[in-house]
Amino acid sequence: MNPIRILFFATLRDRAGTKSMDMEVPAEMTIRELKVKLTQDHPNLTESLKSVLITINREYAMDDSVVPSGAEIAMFPPVSGG
Amino acid sequence: MDRPTIFSITESEIDLNELLSRITLTSSGAAAIFTGMVRGQTAREQPHETEYLEYEAYQPMAEEKMKQVADEIRDRWPEVEGIAIVQRVGILYPKTPTVLIACSAAHRDTGVFEAARYGIDRLKEIVPIWKKEVSPDGEFWVEGDYYPKSGE
Repeated sequence: MNPIRILFFATLRDRAGTKSMDMEVPAEMTIRELKVKLTQDHPNLTESLKSVLITINREYAMDDSVVPSGAEIAMFPPVSGG
Repeated sequence: MDRPTIFSITESEIDLNELLSRITLTSSGAAAIFTGMVRGQTAREQPHETEYLEYEAYQPMAEEKMKQVADEIRDRWPEVEGIAIVQRVGILYPKTPTVLIACSAAHRDTGVFEAARYGIDRLKEIVPIWKKEVSPDGEFWVEGDYYPKSGE
């Protein structure tokens, strides 16, 4: 199992009720599988996870990206700065 | 001469004169500056009033992505000399400047106008910052509509 940290921002933070979460995940887990796990563990996040942006170590990632050990994952809605 | 690139997320007031002087070289003769401010009354689409906006950022990544936007500007408009990209965060009231993009160059026909426009458009696509709108009718997170590609 690999340790990871997940950061939540904006709507995702409100839904998760926390800014960050430390987890242990299987080696070679993909973002797609991580989303399924989060949906199971935190049903509140289900709607938000449908149109979420996800980053791995501060770079945008896709559903098939693999989560490396010690990764800093972030989940948030499409950005709205400016 | 080194071409200055400034990028920051700040809770402090945006100081236009200070930023402008930092991106002005002795060879500079023009700068295009875009700034956005909190709009208290919106007429377009769904007309509404805004009491204030509350901004938050994923700071380390936001700064990395601002640097990337500056690099993209330099790739497209190599004559641009200095670049400043600044986003203010926290609770900001109507009429307050929230963001500033400034590009300097030797002359105005070097792409500086387009470069500043590109900077703000790109910031709104890839830099992880969000704003919550608070109005007399309630509050909601404003969400963009751009989905960056892997590694973008």
